[in-house]
Amino acid sequence: MTISVGDTLPEATLARMGDNGPETVSLHALLKGRKVVVFALPGAYTGPCTTAHIPSFIRTADAFRAKGIEDIFCIAVNDPFVLKSWGESTGATAAGISLLGDADGSFTRGLSMDFTAPQLGLIGRSNRYALVVENGVVTKAHIDEPGVCNISTGESLLADL
Amino acid sequence: MLSEGMTLPDATFPVMGEDGPGTIRLGERLKGRRVVIFALPGAFTPTCDSAHMPSFVRTADAFRAKGVDEILCLSVNDPHVMRYWGRLTGALEAGITLLADAGAEFTRAVGMEFSNPERGMLNRSKRYAMLVEDGVVKVLHLEQATGICEISGGEAMLAVV
Repeated sequence: MTISVGDTLPEATLARMGDNGPETVSLHALLKGRKVVVFALPGAYTGPCTTAHIPSFIRTADAFRAKGIEDIFCIAVNDPFVLKSWGESTGATAAGISLLGDADGSFTRGLSMDFTAPQLGLIGRSNRYALVVENGVVTKAHIDEPGVCNISTGESLLADL
Repeated sequence: MLSEGMTLPDATFPVMGEDGPGTIRLGERLKGRRVVIFALPGAFTPTCDSAHMPSFVRTADAFRAKGVDEILCLSVNDPHVMRYWGRLTGALEAGITLLADAGAEFTRAVGMEFSNPERGMLNRSKRYAMLVEDGVVKVLHLEQATGICEISGGEAMLAVV
């Protein structure tokens, strides 16, 4: 499958850094009854993710909240230790963006959003997309072509709200 | 399973250099040389960050003084994460070469993988250090417990080189 407006996102167990260290969390529990943004990217500390994609959501986080978005989630096939460090160094955590690790890549594979670029050391990573999700159902879907960071940026999704 | 007397399998690791992506051939680094390889569960994880990597940063010069040609640090992370972590910890400055076992092929080939899904850690490397001469493991220090870094640390290896 891919991701289309009207889809219910599949359940997934994701990893995040909690107050007492790494923990797992149910995606459906995070989405239930809420209007949120979910965006995904190939990986912490990779070039365009660090210089373009996550900054675009840091810039627009307040504007999303002003439009009624309750949470902003960033999903990457990384472990929660790497994501915590990256969230702090990019300013994403300070901007209120929650980083979720699809550590085994199963959520990303389930959406057919995975790609592998061995020469870059990226195995089973996520293509870029950004969604508005209301009570678990996708209401806006901005899916970028592999390798591109264009319509999945914060500004592009915000303009669609 | 990794053991003393074993000849290490060859492997290719992706690396992010100043000029973009490249590869490191393990066989080329080992042939006719005396090297120390240490492996750890992951960049930015607590024990690796606070104890294991610093122990080799501290002892890198002492290893070279004892005739060790190269010190290599292996982890199942991608080369983007490894490069940033190497800068942050001072490993690159200390002349430590980072091996990103991005797909865990080497770690699986030597039987050193473990998983801890509750912490978002999948197919990672156990913590160990080894002295390798011309591709053959001469000394292996495998850490037995998790969350500690004693026998696999730089000082313990330096004492037997």
